[in-house]
Amino acid sequence: MAISSVARVGAMAALTALALTACSTGGTDAPGASGGDCAPSDGPVTLTFTSWLPGVEEAVAIWNEENPDIQVEVQTGPNGNGGTYQNFFNQLEAGNAPDLGQIEFDAMPNFRVQDGLENIAACEGILEAESQFVDWTWSQVTFGEEDAVYAIPQDTGPMAMFYRADLFEAAGIAVPTTWEEYEAAARQIREEGGYINNFSQSDINAFAGLVWQAGGEWFSNDADGWTVDMTVGESAQVAEYWQRMIEDDLVAKYPPWTDEWNAAYNSGELWTWVSAVWGANTIASGAPDTAGNWAVAPMPQWEAGASAAGNWGGSTTAVLKGSDHPYEAAQFALWLNTDADALTAMNRTANIYPATIEGADLPVFDEGVEFYGGQKIYEVFAEAGDNVDPDFTWGPTMTQVYNDVADGFSGVLAGNGTLLDALAAGQESTIAALEAASIPVKE
Amino acid sequence: MARDTAGRPSRAVRHRAALAVFLVPFGALFTLFYVIPIGYAVYQSLLTVEREGTFGPAVQVFGGLTQYIAVFQNELFWNSIGRVLLFGVVQVPIMLGLALILALLLDSPLVRGSRFFRLAFFAPYAVPSVIAAIMWGFLYSPNLSPFTGVTQAVDFLSADAVLWSIANVVTWVYVGYNMLIIYSALLAIPQELYEAARLDGAGQLRIALSIKIPLVVPALVLTGIFSIIGTLQLLAEPQVFQSFTSAVTSTFTPNLTIYSTASVPNISLAAAMSVVLALATFVLSFTVLKLTQRRTAR
Repeated sequence: MAISSVARVGAMAALTALALTACSTGGTDAPGASGGDCAPSDGPVTLTFTSWLPGVEEAVAIWNEENPDIQVEVQTGPNGNGGTYQNFFNQLEAGNAPDLGQIEFDAMPNFRVQDGLENIAACEGILEAESQFVDWTWSQVTFGEEDAVYAIPQDTGPMAMFYRADLFEAAGIAVPTTWEEYEAAARQIREEGGYINNFSQSDINAFAGLVWQAGGEWFSNDADGWTVDMTVGESAQVAEYWQRMIEDDLVAKYPPWTDEWNAAYNSGELWTWVSAVWGANTIASGAPDTAGNWAVAPMPQWEAGASAAGNWGGSTTAVLKGSDHPYEAAQFALWLNTDADALTAMNRTANIYPATIEGADLPVFDEGVEFYGGQKIYEVFAEAGDNVDPDFTWGPTMTQVYNDVADGFSGVLAGNGTLLDALAAGQESTIAALEAASIPVKE
Repeated sequence: MARDTAGRPSRAVRHRAALAVFLVPFGALFTLFYVIPIGYAVYQSLLTVEREGTFGPAVQVFGGLTQYIAVFQNELFWNSIGRVLLFGVVQVPIMLGLALILALLLDSPLVRGSRFFRLAFFAPYAVPSVIAAIMWGFLYSPNLSPFTGVTQAVDFLSADAVLWSIANVVTWVYVGYNMLIIYSALLAIPQELYEAARLDGAGQLRIALSIKIPLVVPALVLTGIFSIIGTLQLLAEPQVFQSFTSAVTSTFTPNLTIYSTASVPNISLAAAMSVVLALATFVLSFTVLKLTQRRTAR
């Protein structure tokens, strides 16, 4: 017995060592294209594409029909911060990531820092495509560098205000155009028994969109490293504004994206939602009983007469590190996000608003939307899109930032501290997370 | 295991070959699904990342115990361990107490229809814990619950109450399972003991207190240790509850903390946390085992 058990342990140890060496060497080599070379593959290829866009299969089916030699298989998953990014990071670590993945603008620096993106600048037609895209979206995928393209922009999330036109009219309350009027309206709506809005404790990217609109910025970087500034200037201004709304009970506190939250919109308790263009789909599916009663207006402004807009969300299609077919993957990504049929299909199923300049002129964006009383809502978003500050930088660990600030915000709603305290705590943990990853931080 | 005589080596060899045949399936699976992943986690936990410049590529280098130092300095991680320990101190005794009472009732000759009740009590365990959490999440919801009269008066999903709301879900799911283990221990008690007790004039209550409970202590210890392990590893229920309430933070339980650390992604720190959690679980289970063994030995 002694001999055989020693032999067994020995065999296990050998196997473990083998597995460990295999894993440790697996991480260091980087197959696929670098910036300097991007050649077509021989013969037919099959690409895998992970996305959480509802109905993206329809657009992909158009491509598959036209390109029998480059077939794309769609894998769907939860939204990025909800799990797909973590899957991507795990797959990248294991070396079996899909060829293509949906990545939001705010997560691009995270994937860049983790070396998860192929630079497809050398692939045919990619650099030339720059002129087709809205300026700020292109700078988000190139990080402002020459000869670098890390993804193809897909859609943007210009923000506006969805509001219950019928309720505002019946109560004789003017639709607010400034944040000051918004607060005044909130007090009147409270007397009617409703809430003007819900304060979302977990949509920190929406809060960032409000800061973006106000002209603030949480992150900046240069060659020497990153700066984190979440508690000063416009960020503090926005935090203090919503802090007052929370303290005066002018906003509801439903956890967002829950059935309770949908029910509050469906029942007419909530009167507005300051959200992105794709939110049109969220309300329509979450509050079906209110069809026809909604309208869209530009975001309330900090200065009367201004027209600043924020952005919430917006995705890219990235070629992930280790893809065997970066050329074909890049061609598909470019087609998916520039082809009129593909963009129309994705708008129909997911209300996406394209990142291309021409995309905004597609017939579908000129139509009135029944759910919004026949209003041509995309005109409002098109104007908002033009008024989004193009220089907004995301940090390299946004999933962590969102988690930590959301934990702080939900503490605020439970009565602990203020939004500004939560942002300060978030800033502290963000700097700690960056330092843990050896990402240079400037104090 | 040496060869018994020089003339009959084949029997020992055959014996050893048979041993190998029986051990290989276990050994292979054990290696593949326990030894290698644990070894890989330990290996990962010893690494740290270095890079140069704002977007410099990351290089993993050996970092010794750097990640473990970070784990011990991580307040949120220890808060989450404290939270599940508090959870366990309250929930495990309640659950096992209930399981014991139900098992004793089923075993009592005075209760009719014990077969039906045995199945009924066990049925919640057949519900996957994710589904159970979703169901209870709706039951707790202030506006969607069928019992809005109660849920609008008491907020089961508030920051103060949500831990105990989750404890209730866990109890609901596992009480039947634990009851079944205790019940089968009760069935193994020889009938002679009961006869002797009855001859001495003991009633059902006396039998339960003086014979049944002392004899099922090993089963209670076993279920207790399983419950401690389960408590420290709470993940599914709190994660599901995140979609009902924001009171469940991303660092609510140790496993959620590890999950959100891995999504940063900071895999080495998450690996170190996992190793520390595994060791803490082991130490706690072992301590409970030792303490109870000493008590029963006396």
